[in-house]
Amino acid sequence: MRWRGTLALLAFLALAAPCGAVALSVHERGAPVADVVVVLDPLDAPLVTANSHAMIDQVDRQFAPRISVIRTGTAVDFPNKDQIRHQVYSFSAAKPFTLKLYAGRSAPPVVFDHPGLVVLGCNIHDRMVAFVAVVDTPYFGRTGVDGQLQLNVPSGRYRLRIWHPDLKQVIAPQQLTLPGDGTPLAIEIARAAAPITVAPWPE
Amino acid sequence: MQLRTRIAVTFLALLAAIIGAALFAVSAANQSNAQREIDRQLEVGRLVFERVLDGNRRQLTQAAQGLAADYGFLDAVASNDAATIGSALENLGARIGATLVELVALDGRVLATAGADAGAGATASPNSPSLHRELLAHGTSGERRTAISVVNGHVYQLVMLPVKSPLPVAWIVMGFALDQTSVKELAAVTGLDVTLALHTKSGWRAAATSLPEGSASRALTALGGGSKADLDLITNSLTLATDTAVPVTAVLSRSLADARAPFDRLRERLVLIALVSFSLTAVAAFWLARNITRPLQALTSAIESVRAGRYDAPLVIERRDELGTLAEGLQLMQQAVESRDRDIRALAYTDRLTSLMNRTAFVGGLAEALAGRAGPIAVAIVNLRRFRQINECLGYAVGDSVLKQVATRLTEAPALATHLARVAGDHFAAFTPLGPGASLEHWGTQLLERFAKPVVVSAQPIDIDAVVGLACAPQDSADSEDLLRCADLAVERAKRDNRTLRVYEAKLRVATREQLSLLGELQRAIDENELVFAFQPKLQLQTGQVVGAEALLRWRHPTRGLLMPSAFLPFAERAGFIRKLTRWALTAGAAAAAHWAREGRALNVSVNISADDLADPNLDSHLRQALSAARLPGDLLTLELTESGFIGDPNQALAQLELLKTHGVKLSIDDFGTGYSSLSYLTRMPVDELKIDRSFVSAIAGSPQATAVVQAAIEMGHSLGLSVVAEGIEDSNTAADLAALGCDIGQGYVYAKPLLLPDFEAWCSAHDAESARVTLVPPTDTVVTRLRRRFRPPATG
Repeated sequence: MRWRGTLALLAFLALAAPCGAVALSVHERGAPVADVVVVLDPLDAPLVTANSHAMIDQVDRQFAPRISVIRTGTAVDFPNKDQIRHQVYSFSAAKPFTLKLYAGRSAPPVVFDHPGLVVLGCNIHDRMVAFVAVVDTPYFGRTGVDGQLQLNVPSGRYRLRIWHPDLKQVIAPQQLTLPGDGTPLAIEIARAAAPITVAPWPE
Repeated sequence: MQLRTRIAVTFLALLAAIIGAALFAVSAANQSNAQREIDRQLEVGRLVFERVLDGNRRQLTQAAQGLAADYGFLDAVASNDAATIGSALENLGARIGATLVELVALDGRVLATAGADAGAGATASPNSPSLHRELLAHGTSGERRTAISVVNGHVYQLVMLPVKSPLPVAWIVMGFALDQTSVKELAAVTGLDVTLALHTKSGWRAAATSLPEGSASRALTALGGGSKADLDLITNSLTLATDTAVPVTAVLSRSLADARAPFDRLRERLVLIALVSFSLTAVAAFWLARNITRPLQALTSAIESVRAGRYDAPLVIERRDELGTLAEGLQLMQQAVESRDRDIRALAYTDRLTSLMNRTAFVGGLAEALAGRAGPIAVAIVNLRRFRQINECLGYAVGDSVLKQVATRLTEAPALATHLARVAGDHFAAFTPLGPGASLEHWGTQLLERFAKPVVVSAQPIDIDAVVGLACAPQDSADSEDLLRCADLAVERAKRDNRTLRVYEAKLRVATREQLSLLGELQRAIDENELVFAFQPKLQLQTGQVVGAEALLRWRHPTRGLLMPSAFLPFAERAGFIRKLTRWALTAGAAAAAHWAREGRALNVSVNISADDLADPNLDSHLRQALSAARLPGDLLTLELTESGFIGDPNQALAQLELLKTHGVKLSIDDFGTGYSSLSYLTRMPVDELKIDRSFVSAIAGSPQATAVVQAAIEMGHSLGLSVVAEGIEDSNTAADLAALGCDIGQGYVYAKPLLLPDFEAWCSAHDAESARVTLVPPTDTVVTRLRRRFRPPATG
């Protein structure tokens, strides 16, 4: 599977014309897959941090969004929209923390200052799980429900990382050169039917 | 079967049946109850067993969950703080007594261990711990799992829980070892024996068991599909793990013997009760039966002695129950029977009239005397002649008095006999032992002498004309009845012979016996023409001419030959058969006379008529028929009758004779001189002939007195106008003498014995021829001379 995806990608790169944008589509056996994290690390440009903000709600005993991709240094707010208490924690190496959240009471934002995958859980509600991918690049995104993702990237060489929590096999990061002309990029993935744990984050 | 035995046996059989049924029911119930009980115990045990395992599982799970949810522990895991993790696991294991606690990475690596069996999983296979791999292989949902697993040949109950932070990062594995100790605890809790069996390549193996050494293998045979029938274990197997590499099964078992023990004890107790109650009942039944039957036996033996004629048997039973009443009743009955027996004996053995013994008693006494006889025993029968006349003329009361007097005479001292009896109307019997040298006749004479004087009844003397018949044991007979009969025959004969005493002789009996049997054949003799006549010629003494013949009856018996009248006539007379014989004689006599008359020989045939014939009203018509059948003139037939014919009813006899005379026949008086006929009757009777009895005729030879009597008879006959016949002439001298005395006709052996018809005719022809040659010269003178010489008075001689 990995090889098939790789081959398809190489074929695409050979034909692609340089362009400022790239159009990705992720499929699993022909069906579009949403919430696939796509990260393009520029190999030629220096990485910069950003002081941006992000927000992960707790609604109906679920994190929303379940999967987030943020740039390193982003401060994330965890507003509790439920009428019950939550205790958000992370034992992930990228950002361990604990937040005691009370309904309606705002907590200070958490700054994710190290790249990596942070798995969020609620100490009270075991079923509440959220993933925060912290990256050093401004070129990243999640596929929509149609499996499409449009990224504006200047042409150049990139490292492509593809991740989804349910990935059956880790997709190794690929180096590629993007022409920047919006050439479409088709990616085939495979997910585990009943994953017992989360797929490792490609560093 | 005796009553006692029957009662006892009935009781015991009943009891045995009841006990047997109870035992059977209990036994059957035991069997099914034991089986049901075991099944129930196994089922309960299985549930308990499952509940225990379930409880263990829950305990393990709760403990593991507590740890997995502990934030501090999660923190330690996240920070890979090995010391903290280890102590946490240690603490957890100690808290619930888990023998195995491990933290295992998601890839199966053991991160930390604690507990008694720490490292068991790792030790099993350091590089690839099979236990955890098995667990993980099934772990797809990331949720907790439980299992019974085999590690290093030991069985564990394991629980595996994911450590989530919040995603699973590791597993907590906790378990109890299901070893010998815990199996024994399970056994104690379930009340069953528990065996944990592993299925290895070589078959089932017991990993742990509560069964005693050696018994485990038997529990395993149930798993191996072996026959359960010969097991003394009832098993219930519970599969604990099938999807692991080594399948594990728990075998819950119960010893059949143990399960049955309470029932067996119950049965034993019941058997004991049965035996005891059976024995007690047996004793009681026998005692009761004995209590009933012992008096019954006493009563029975008493009744037995009553039956044997003893009435002194004790019949008292001191009891107030039915048996006492029965004994009382029986005693009363015994007394009644005794008194009645006495009466009956008196009636049965005593003659009421004379108070002598009766015939039965006499015969019994005689039999006893014969049985204990030391010497000869004389038996006599005393009969009274003319007793009938006494009864008829003087009345029965006088007759009874006479009999009583006779009894008195016989019993008077000195005693002549030990036993005296009246055996029939006027028959008395006596018997006495005959001493040595004593004469039977003398004793008989002594008896007769008792009646020398007349008895006096109502001041009227009555002569007793007694006749005695005598018999003597043992020569005559050894049987009492028979002896009596001998005496009876003797007395009958004495009566017939007009004697007063007669001793029994064997010939009396023989004659009697023959006569008896002949009597039955007499009718046949008449019908079959077995009767014939023997003719004895009657000659004119003066001329020697045959003038007639006496027809004498003979019976040509088919088997006994020619029988003389004495052999059958007396009985024929008594049986009333004489009239038939007479009728035959008249017919045959007339026929014979007619036959000779036709041949030119005028012979007068004499036929004997008995006294009974004179009473026959048909005699006249029989005579007429005989004469007319033969077409014979009456004067060729003579009817000879004895004087006894006139004794019964002389007038009737005379009338009969007159009637017979009308047919022209001649009448003759036979045996003249022996009877008691009155001469007055003689003058009145229409007779033609006198026959002087042979006893006088044969006496002539040596007795002048006899000659004188014969002469007187001849002269009397002649003076009455009768022809005189002398019979029984046996020599020619007598014949000559009779001729000299004037006797008309002679008859006797000197001429001819009675001859059958052909012989008689031959004799007649011969006699005729001789008469033609010799002229008989009557020796009248010489006879008269001789007679005169004899009667010459002695003075003149």
